[in-house]
Amino acid sequence: MAENTSNTVTAVAMNSVNKWFDDFHVLKDINLNVADGEKVVICGPSGSGKSTLIRCICKLEDHQRGTINVLGTELNDDVSNIDEIRREVGMVFQQFNLFPHMTVMENCTLAQMLVRKKSRKEAETIAMGFLEKVRIPEQAGKYPGELSGGQQQRVAIARSLCMNPKILLFDEPTSALDPEMISEVLDVMVSLAEEGMTMICVTHEMGFARRVADRVIFMDQGEIVEENSPLEFFENPVNERTKLFLSQILQH
Amino acid sequence: MDLANIIQPPSTPSLLSRLRANLFGNVLDSVVSIVCGVLLVMLVYSVIDWAFVSSIWRAEDESLCKEAGGACWSVIDARHRIIFFGLFPYEEHWRSTLACVVMTATIVLSCFPWFWSALRLSALWLAGFGTFYILMHGGLFGLSVITPERWGGLALTIFIFAAVSIIGMPLSILLALGRRSKLPVIAKMVGLFIDFFRSLPLLTILFTAAVITPFVLPGWLQGDKLYRVIAGFAIFFACYQAENIRAGLQAIPAGQDEAGSTLGLSYWHRISRIQLPQAFRNSLPAIVNQFVITFKETSIVTIVGFFEILASGAAAYGTGKWTVHYIEVYVFIGLIYFMFVFSLSRYGAYLERKLRVGHG
Ligand SMILES: Nc1ncnc2c1ncn2[C@@H]1O[C@H](COP(=O)(O)OP(=O)(O)OP(=O)(O)O)[C@@H](O)[C@H]1O
Ligand SMILES: [Mg+2]
Repeated sequence: MAENTSNTVTAVAMNSVNKWFDDFHVLKDINLNVADGEKVVICGPSGSGKSTLIRCICKLEDHQRGTINVLGTELNDDVSNIDEIRREVGMVFQQFNLFPHMTVMENCTLAQMLVRKKSRKEAETIAMGFLEKVRIPEQAGKYPGELSGGQQQRVAIARSLCMNPKILLFDEPTSALDPEMISEVLDVMVSLAEEGMTMICVTHEMGFARRVADRVIFMDQGEIVEENSPLEFFENPVNERTKLFLSQILQH
Repeated sequence: MDLANIIQPPSTPSLLSRLRANLFGNVLDSVVSIVCGVLLVMLVYSVIDWAFVSSIWRAEDESLCKEAGGACWSVIDARHRIIFFGLFPYEEHWRSTLACVVMTATIVLSCFPWFWSALRLSALWLAGFGTFYILMHGGLFGLSVITPERWGGLALTIFIFAAVSIIGMPLSILLALGRRSKLPVIAKMVGLFIDFFRSLPLLTILFTAAVITPFVLPGWLQGDKLYRVIAGFAIFFACYQAENIRAGLQAIPAGQDEAGSTLGLSYWHRISRIQLPQAFRNSLPAIVNQFVITFKETSIVTIVGFFEILASGAAAYGTGKWTVHYIEVYVFIGLIYFMFVFSLSRYGAYLERKLRVGHG
């Protein structure tokens, strides 16, 4: 996808972000700018800090040094800032994290009604629209436990979309899925990308990265080791660690 | 295709054939089964005989009891008012009856899911307690004042149970959340509070509330002895219930709260819509169990001088010719307890089934 606007607004700006878990240095001097409408894929070996990085963007984790700006608002301890950002940033988890005690429809309407103060009717109309978009409107009355993994993840995406987020974060959305269900989730993500959603995806689905990513970022041991367009990244990786990683995951 | 070879699901054996296999499988089993069967029949027969056949029912017929040899229900006929109402003035018993009905209805209504919102539940309980109080205490609408020392019997038992539950439940939720607080100071202090009260016997707490606090608290804070006892009981209840709820909270994966956060839900919305419903579902059996225990433990308040149903039962058979008929009185009170506690357990089982929806 080409950057389609000349005045690219910054969706996410991370400036020398550092984070420690106790004295374990998980994120080392991360600098990352994501433009509005851009799609970024993050990959890297297990434990390299990918999840931690995107969790910092929606303030599920605190960073200790550096600054993170999301849509022009700085992430600090100011509670109103956090609320503001969470309303604009959606997140899709590896384990779906649907609310098991609510139906699919209730999962999709809860936050709309409580946070966006929509009426139930309004919320349900919006929810139904997104359930149709992820192609499971007929499951609206079921509980998450009655759905397959792929269906649950699509509900989770619909649930995020209901909040009308400007940025969507994905943390290995297909890693917990059986192989035959991966494509149904990736298809939904591709169509979102084509509609211009700003997306930051941690994923090892390299086919997806080639198809939609504007940029691929490789992380290792808490650092951004390499970043490039998908074409360059896969054809001419520069760093030795990237080459090793790619050779490992492309073997399969 | 050979139809005969299509595999059929094994048919479930009939009840009769299963009984035969389990109880009369070999000679020893058969002998044991027959002996137990005969004993059981004899037991059931003698209970029925005692309770229904050789029993005397009317108060006037008490003199026939000895000869009949069965239960002497005359004692209930004659003395049931004491059991139900304790020392409550005779001509005001209708108030106590009505209060009992109102409080029971309040408890039953709050079991319906329709009432499960903070607003509806508070409105229901405010109305329930208000009506109960006006009926029992009087002083309004021309009703004569009857102070709590003279409340008694079933009305008092139900009142103590309902009041302990209604004060204890919100308190237990706060304690459970407090103990899981991210602020170590709060978590530690709440933990200490819970562990302190859980390590005291209920009796000690009730004694302290009834007898010792008047020396410590300023007059305006003391309130009636009944309310101090209820407050102590409620704290005790809440500390146990808090641990049940906390266990239920502990079992919820961290991702649930994170999903709520990223959707922009506030802390209280996450607690009330995501955490607590799942925590209640997770530890429902333990939570219901705590209610059952509490209902039965209300009898302990006798010790600090209250005439709850068990104490008024003792008063019922305590005079004159009735002293020999204490068994009938206790069976009767036992049945009343059974009705309440059994309904509670069945309701718990119903809730478990209902909340399991979609959790195959
Ligand atoms: N809450 C935590 N406390 C302490 N250490 C943590 C915590 N969360 C993550 N870590 C550590 O931080 C490092 C980075 O974790 P992170 O989950 O970001 O890795 P990841 O790149 O997402 O790995 P994976 O591909 O396995 O998901 C790991 O070594 C992990 O053990
Ligand atoms: Mg991860």
